[in-house]
Amino acid sequence: MSRAMSKITLGIMVAGLLWFSYSSVSAVYPFNWSSLTKYYKLFLEGILTTFQLSVIALALAVIVGILVALARDSKVNLLRDAGTLYVWFFRNMPLLVVILLVYYGFGSAVNVDRFWAGVISLSLFEGAYVGEIFRAGIDAVPSGEKEAGEAMGLYRSQIMFSIVFPQAFRISIPPLIGQLVTLIKDSSLVSVIALGDLTMRARQVGTQTLAVFEAYIVLAGCYLVMTSLVSLVGRVLERRLAIP
Amino acid sequence: MKEKNVILSLLNLTKSFDSQEVLKEVSFDVREGDVIAVLGSSGAGKTTLLRCINNLITPDGGDVFFKGERVQRTKHSIRAFRSKVGFVFQRFNLISHLRIIDNVALPLVKVGRVKWTDARKVAADHLKRVGLADKLMSYPSQLSGGQQQRVGIARALVMDPDIVLLDEPTSALDPSLVGEVMRVIRRLSSEGRTMIIVTHEIEFAKHIANRVVFLNDGEVFADCSPNEFFESVSGEIAEFLTDLSAIV
Repeated sequence: MSRAMSKITLGIMVAGLLWFSYSSVSAVYPFNWSSLTKYYKLFLEGILTTFQLSVIALALAVIVGILVALARDSKVNLLRDAGTLYVWFFRNMPLLVVILLVYYGFGSAVNVDRFWAGVISLSLFEGAYVGEIFRAGIDAVPSGEKEAGEAMGLYRSQIMFSIVFPQAFRISIPPLIGQLVTLIKDSSLVSVIALGDLTMRARQVGTQTLAVFEAYIVLAGCYLVMTSLVSLVGRVLERRLAIP
Repeated sequence: MKEKNVILSLLNLTKSFDSQEVLKEVSFDVREGDVIAVLGSSGAGKTTLLRCINNLITPDGGDVFFKGERVQRTKHSIRAFRSKVGFVFQRFNLISHLRIIDNVALPLVKVGRVKWTDARKVAADHLKRVGLADKLMSYPSQLSGGQQQRVGIARALVMDPDIVLLDEPTSALDPSLVGEVMRVIRRLSSEGRTMIIVTHEIEFAKHIANRVVFLNDGEVFADCSPNEFFESVSGEIAEFLTDLSAIV
């Protein structure tokens, strides 16, 4: 069976399965899609908030990640241990708890805006993972190339900026895109601090219209489209930047 | 024959890895225009010696004198010295994300503080001389091993070094590609470049080198002309040469 044929077959099978489940559920649950339509603006707002949250958090997570990776590769023991400690903490802490700590914990001492509480939690948390991605990328640069830099008479910082980072960055792109997808999905947890992201908006629409199932189906669809688009852009970027 | 100036002296270089003594007080002088083949069976310390010279490996003891001055083990002193010493690696070690021309221009830009546009002109010229004028825009992975090594040589020459160190420049190559790299190195020697070549190719020692340094067990066992070396009756050298011809 050709590749295209098998894809079409799978598509038909999945569509059939969905239609079957939908029609059996609708026998007991009266779907009411029309009530959702006037709330489409809330969904758009939610998508926008989730998007802003994810992009800003990713940018900050990349900065945190660079610092963590540099600390973990540092010659200074204290920095190396600090980096390890950071990664250990955030990799062993549920994101939900981080969000609660930042918003209700620090938030009770200093006034933190919901949105920025979300951004800070996500970037601190994802920064640990991004740091590990960068570190793997840095370690993947052939040591012979660093040696060539040394033999030319480059300083350590020149070796890093001219030889190591450009390659480490390219190596890191695929896992970094994966992490962005994770970040978008993880961002749904900020709805617990009543930040109006996509998940929060879908819950609001669901409770207001009583069309809960419908709202969550739309919610699921929105996440799938967002994350798939990111993956697609990532694949294009990866191909563009590939070293022949 | 007129005595040429000594440009590099090694004095009592020692190096141990764990408790294994790899270099035992290695000393010799390199004069301008010398082409020295460093021979020895594997494990004799040839590559370690070459790396100790430009501090890719820090020697445990001993000193390197460059044009009469001791090379201090400080960042700046080592960097200044390295910029005057070309190094050619066994596995080429080209920078994989840079085009060939930028690989060669990189030392000029980063160490020589030359602008990229000017550096590329010089780089193109050097690449032309090793027969790669048509590969300027390629990436290292798009070249054969022999071509990559010729880029490696062009990169080592671009700073117009006083001496070039070559670490087994042909041993990672397909036998059919050895010739093209050898021709380039032969040309360098005829231009009067000072070189130290660590090698297994007996042809280098016979036809290109004017001196052979034979390392045995971390010590300079012989330092003589190729003729003397190949006619030597010493047990160790004879054994080494027999082993070598047995491979060929």
